[in-house]
Amino acid sequence: MPRFDSDVCIVGGGISAVFMAQKLSELKPNLSITIVEAGKRLFDAENRMSYRRRSLLYGENAWPGDFIEDQGGEGIVSRTMAVGGSAMHWQGHANRFSEEDLRLHSLYGLATDWPLEWAELEKYCCEAERRIGVSGAPSPHPEDQRSEPYPMPPMPLTYNLAEIKAWAERAGIPFTGCPQAKNTTAYDGRPECQRCNTCMICPTGARYSPDYTYKKLLANKRIVLHDRTLVRRLIPHDRNKTIVAATGSNAERPGEPVEYRARWFVVTSGYAWSPHLLLNSRSSRFPNGLANSSGLVGRYMTGHYFITAQMEVNKKLYPGMNEPYPLISREYFRCAPDKPFVRHDIQIFESTTGRRPRLKSETGEFLFGDDLLSDWRSRTTHGVARVRMYYDSHPSRESSLTLDPANGNHLGDPMPRIVHRMDEAAEARDAATQAHIRAIYQRMAKANGTKILSVSKSDYQDHPSGGCRMGNDPSQSVCDSYGRTHDHENLFVVGAPTLPTGGCTNATITFVGLTLRSSEHIAQNL
Amino acid sequence: MHRRSLFRRLFALISGQGLPLWAQSTSFPGKHESTLKELAATVLPESLGRAVTDAEALRFVRWVEEYRAGAEMQTGYGFTRVRYKAASPAARYLEQLDELAAGALAQPGMAARRQKIGQAFQAANIRDLPAVPDGVNIAADLMTFYFQSPPANDLAYSAAIGKDTCRTLRNAGSVPAPLKKETSGAALR
Repeated sequence: MPRFDSDVCIVGGGISAVFMAQKLSELKPNLSITIVEAGKRLFDAENRMSYRRRSLLYGENAWPGDFIEDQGGEGIVSRTMAVGGSAMHWQGHANRFSEEDLRLHSLYGLATDWPLEWAELEKYCCEAERRIGVSGAPSPHPEDQRSEPYPMPPMPLTYNLAEIKAWAERAGIPFTGCPQAKNTTAYDGRPECQRCNTCMICPTGARYSPDYTYKKLLANKRIVLHDRTLVRRLIPHDRNKTIVAATGSNAERPGEPVEYRARWFVVTSGYAWSPHLLLNSRSSRFPNGLANSSGLVGRYMTGHYFITAQMEVNKKLYPGMNEPYPLISREYFRCAPDKPFVRHDIQIFESTTGRRPRLKSETGEFLFGDDLLSDWRSRTTHGVARVRMYYDSHPSRESSLTLDPANGNHLGDPMPRIVHRMDEAAEARDAATQAHIRAIYQRMAKANGTKILSVSKSDYQDHPSGGCRMGNDPSQSVCDSYGRTHDHENLFVVGAPTLPTGGCTNATITFVGLTLRSSEHIAQNL
Repeated sequence: MHRRSLFRRLFALISGQGLPLWAQSTSFPGKHESTLKELAATVLPESLGRAVTDAEALRFVRWVEEYRAGAEMQTGYGFTRVRYKAASPAARYLEQLDELAAGALAQPGMAARRQKIGQAFQAANIRDLPAVPDGVNIAADLMTFYFQSPPANDLAYSAAIGKDTCRTLRNAGSVPAPLKKETSGAALR
């Protein structure tokens, strides 16, 4: 069996992996670091304009080959499996969590506290923003105070967003542009954003994706990257509880197992594949999988539900100016401890709902040519905004990732099945939370004399995380605040899976901040 | 080879998807270039003028030529199942152009032509324009091809928005300029 030795073996090659490796290699330049990723490397930035064109014209996958056909699952499981992970095609929304996320229990008697202080995590969020390259405007709320300014000035509001901001603020709620992992000036060797309107695949490199960092680390020989290699199991020592190896299989040689030996193992495989790997590493000695003496691997899967409204704006808007860039309000990130708990963000995007060309008129007649164009034009005099609110949806223990024996990959490994469940308190207040959110829509509409066109609640949790939650009590958590598993001293899980609760806004900056903190800790303990 | 990949490749071969691009679609539009241009003049805005609708017809030919059967499709968030583009619509389009040449486009007058095409939409249960042409009906796909394009968006809003084109951040805060005769967005197409 081919065997590869290193000081640190990082399993999973997404955004957490690359920043774990980058910082470790800075702090310990002589360290040997191997990253093993199941998907392939998509480093052909020069082809992204072409992929983007085909995506727009044909509906083709803008990231060809970013998946492994039978490495999927049930529930919300990202298809993406590639070097860089889901952050290859993220929209670049880079807003932060807040202190309330870390102190839900002590402030409100809800869910659990995180085992670290916000003041400490905030510093690492700043570092994450520096490394990624985030442009943003300061929040108007003093509670959102930052220890460092954003690395770049905010993305300018388009004409549409400026109009929508004025419209929304008539309801007495302040908005700013949402922080973006997009360059508003040339930054870190990448150019300024050109508003291509397709941030999911950025053809210029202005929106950060991890491939840029991977390429630098590889060029400087700071890491070894084994892509197309699926780690299937972690192997514990025969007698003690350390991990001695990771074993897997390369896509080119599926019948030939490969082995990675290291002093330290860091699992950075995201919210789905990290708990999946630990559970799939079960053995007679560890029948419930690794790091699972608490029974909590694959438990407390988290994220957040959201409610979306399409709302009429009494201004002419021009859809297409920069559709992926939203406004955000953090007005409801905190609530008074003596009031009913409700916590959510508000994001507003320009929208084309009801403003697209259509084939049939109101009366059901088919439209052609200039008649179709006239019908379309008649609906462009007033704009539409998509107003979305992500709200706290604290997980129960039964919110789970399990191995599904009925769904195996070609190697015979059971695939994950994720079922999200909120805890009792979150379920109990859900109707009130939804009513609160709908009242805000009504307030915005009333303040402007405009209509709410539709309101819908998501049937899934967005921005998923959890499954290996951190905590100080080994009976109530899988790892400590640095991601070190309670059961295996040389095994860390970092990033998304460690979150005890999923917050009420996009989470990537928080994942990376936690990872950078873990990286520093690992370097200090090597 | 993964089982699903094997099935996909077998399906592609059986359905002709595995043929090289030239073999799939070089015959499109074959003898029907003028029919296609007539169709474009019938379903696209007449105010564009015949030269523009003819040019749109030829752009659509290029779209068909560059269609890639079996290409991975865009997928929704959180879905792991991979879907692939169906066989080239070229053959179906040619059949439909045959029918159009003898049927709808042989009618005297625009209203009669459009009525016939509408009846075909009704029969095919076509209710709206998809985001991208889906290969079901050439008239609907030609309309989708044009009306979902950045130049059509500019035309509808009478402004040079340039949706989906790469622009500078400067002037983002300004109202898009009034539309000039030559619309923006052509680079994408």
